[in-house]
Amino acid sequence: MTSESCREWRESLGAYALGRLGEEERVALEVHLEGCAGCRVEADSLRSVATLLPHADPAHFEQPAPSPPADLGSRIAATIGAERHSRRRRRRRWRLGVGLSGAAATAAAALLAIFVLGGGQGAGPEQHVAFRSLPPGVKVAATLEPRAFGTEIHMYVSGIRSGTLCRVYMRGPGGGAVSAGGFRYRWGGDDSAVLSAALDLSRAEALIVHAGKRTFVAPLGGATALQQSHTEEETT
Amino acid sequence: MPSGALTDERGVREAYAAHSAELFGFAVRSLGDAGLAEEAVQETFVRAWRAGERFDPQIGSLRTWLFAILRNVVIDLSRARAVRPRVAEEGAAEPSVEPFEKALLAWQVEEALRRIGDQHREVLVETYYRGRPYAEVAEELGVPEGTIKSRVYYGLRALRVVLEEMGYDE
Repeated sequence: MTSESCREWRESLGAYALGRLGEEERVALEVHLEGCAGCRVEADSLRSVATLLPHADPAHFEQPAPSPPADLGSRIAATIGAERHSRRRRRRRWRLGVGLSGAAATAAAALLAIFVLGGGQGAGPEQHVAFRSLPPGVKVAATLEPRAFGTEIHMYVSGIRSGTLCRVYMRGPGGGAVSAGGFRYRWGGDDSAVLSAALDLSRAEALIVHAGKRTFVAPLGGATALQQSHTEEETT
Repeated sequence: MPSGALTDERGVREAYAAHSAELFGFAVRSLGDAGLAEEAVQETFVRAWRAGERFDPQIGSLRTWLFAILRNVVIDLSRARAVRPRVAEEGAAEPSVEPFEKALLAWQVEEALRRIGDQHREVLVETYYRGRPYAEVAEELGVPEGTIKSRVYYGLRALRVVLEEMGYDE
């Protein structure tokens, strides 16, 4: 078998791989393939490329590839720059926030706040709040910890649109809502936000999250009961 | 810090210059919407930056890593999108990962077909995708039928080379 004859056969291998050779030519080629390992390897390789063709749609690849808008790169750089900046600021504000609320409260409360910070333990039992009847894919949960200044809220959100502004409130006994501030939900990274509300956890009746146009409410009934029994123990 | 690390803004800029076009092209193909694709690419680079220290060029290329992140972003995005019109519906199925893999394969093959020579792409479109006889296409192009056959052969070979360059592995 000369390489010259292989060359001729090989130019038929594309049509062969796609099943487009005439009967006579196909049979002749298969006879050649029987005795030529080199052409057989080539035929197999082309056949595996040919099996990929049905996945492509000419409506897509006959168009030029879409290119990203010219300013996307600088928008990404700006987002990263802002996040880097706000991370630093958040760390600073958290330290500052605890210090201020301690000063605003009584000396005992301030001592407690320092103890809480130093010891890394809550001033009472923390509470896990699960929001129910959420749309599929959406997760909203919170951990509440009683603090000297009120309640510390760790919010966990996922599955909503990136960039959604979430505002968090606690509803008190009179039905009035106390704001715990807000955060903007972003995909990935740390999906928890640490907020605080100036309402004692024992008096809170519900945790309310406005995420964009949606509102999620979790009653804190269990919390109240738990805290009530706790209070009773103290008073008796 | 290993080279190609994304922990600083310069690293992100370089990665963006090298890979954003492909990531965007695929995101458009997969999400079917240029606006969402922009959002997905942006989110991919932001996540890559956040996790930059975890990128290890010994394990895989930056491109592979970015595509893996984009995959998660696209799945999150499809899920969030699937949620909207069906809020009231309970127990709606989670969007599966399979459409993503299909879309990735489709995009890879389409991108490879864009990159091969015009003459090769043309004969593959006419004879394979439009299913036209070789003789008819030969006549239309004013070349012998054997030329069509050899263009099909060299076209498939070129496609194989481009797919290998793109990192496609079966």
